[in-house]
Amino acid sequence: MDRNKLGKWLKSPGKMGQKYSLHALYFCTGCGIIEIPPTITARWDAERFGVIPVASPRQANLFLITGYVSVKTLRFIIRSYEQMPEPKFTVGFGSCPLNGGMYWDSYNTIKHLDKYIPVDGWIAGCMPRPEAVFVAVTHLWTLIDKGMSDGYKKYRENYQYYRKNQEKILGKLEWPPLFSKNVKNE
Amino acid sequence: MTILEIILTILLAGIIGLFFLGLSRKIMARIHWRYGPPIVQPVIDIIKLFNQTSISHGILFNFGIIFSLAGSVVVLLFLPLGRICPLSNSGGLLVILYLMLISPLGLALSGGEAANPNASIGISRKFLLALGYEVPLLLILLAVMTYYNSISIVEIVNKQIQAGWSFQSLPLILSGIAYILILPAILGLRPFEMIHAPQEISSGPLVEYSGKFLALTTILHAFNVFIGISLFVNLFLGGAENPGYFFLKMLGVFIIVILVNAVFPRFRIEQAIKYLWKWPTLLAFAGLIIALITT
Repeated sequence: MDRNKLGKWLKSPGKMGQKYSLHALYFCTGCGIIEIPPTITARWDAERFGVIPVASPRQANLFLITGYVSVKTLRFIIRSYEQMPEPKFTVGFGSCPLNGGMYWDSYNTIKHLDKYIPVDGWIAGCMPRPEAVFVAVTHLWTLIDKGMSDGYKKYRENYQYYRKNQEKILGKLEWPPLFSKNVKNE
Repeated sequence: MTILEIILTILLAGIIGLFFLGLSRKIMARIHWRYGPPIVQPVIDIIKLFNQTSISHGILFNFGIIFSLAGSVVVLLFLPLGRICPLSNSGGLLVILYLMLISPLGLALSGGEAANPNASIGISRKFLLALGYEVPLLLILLAVMTYYNSISIVEIVNKQIQAGWSFQSLPLILSGIAYILILPAILGLRPFEMIHAPQEISSGPLVEYSGKFLALTTILHAFNVFIGISLFVNLFLGGAENPGYFFLKMLGVFIIVILVNAVFPRFRIEQAIKYLWKWPTLLAFAGLIIALITT
């Protein structure tokens, strides 16, 4: 952790700020949410890493998808994701958003979350322990440092692909496209 | 010279306010038996928020938050911070009483433009709460003004430096206790946190704020914390000769408020109004009558 190194703060304040102030939006999709209260409260205390829960997507920059994603929930995951300000990071929590997990055969859940929104990292396991969230956070710090956590840029670049996948599973979407065409990043 | 004092006041108020916000998170964490974030965490948050994209919801959304910030900054200039008081010759308590309403008004304009139902609920609660604490606050200020026969804060502070804190003297102790009772409502802390209430109305008026707008509201909160406590220190704890001593007095008051914040749950809004119009108002009214009799 290089939170106390003043030189790095002066060199790239934006990057350091994003690293050590992760405002998390916990999307309570499935059973994974039960691991989150011990993570953010007194037992494991996520706040010492700068991770605190916020109430609305507008204030968040870390999106945790905790548990299986049913088709009905996917609609709201996409809407929440599009409302978050950039730069934004997504972390899939548990096996179910990763590859379907134990709901592989289900008619009602999706198998691969990263077909619909870009995901920066995965926490595998069923269920992952709260410590795994902190491992994920430290990995995310490394990714932010190297500039590899660019899911939001991928979403802009390949928006047509994601929108097509979303429409394929959800039918007609009632909100207009976020970007009119694929946006090239500078 | 005055311009220098103005810049110094705003800077000091911002730094002290942000330090208090960070300290409150640390103290709360220690009470919960956890380690807690570093004290500079609010500054880290602000740096991050200024480096995010931010979504505006209209002209009034941008204007309201600036309006609110300006209202808070103007109130700061009337409050003596140690010996530093840029506008000591003009205004006084009556002007502060008027200007203190600008800040919630601006935030209401700004949050209302976002047209989110949670924001509307938060704003209505904010105004109801303001209605609740303005009544005892007016009675308290009237008692102080009657006792010292002056509306100038600098003069009140000078008289206290000669004759001892007004919180120790008998005529004003009831008013002082009443101010402590309404202080959490002025600062928007628990048990009067129903304005923001993240668990029920998704942080109320701030629900649609992102990026630099949220950073500005954090700075606004820091200023408001400073104003609420600094008014108490100036009126009842005798101000101070220099900013350092003033800061220590503010720190003491703030820690008491944070301890209350750490252990109490939230009131509902009608319970808050019932409380605010009963005990603090009764105490403040008794204080006003005593002040009238003794002068």
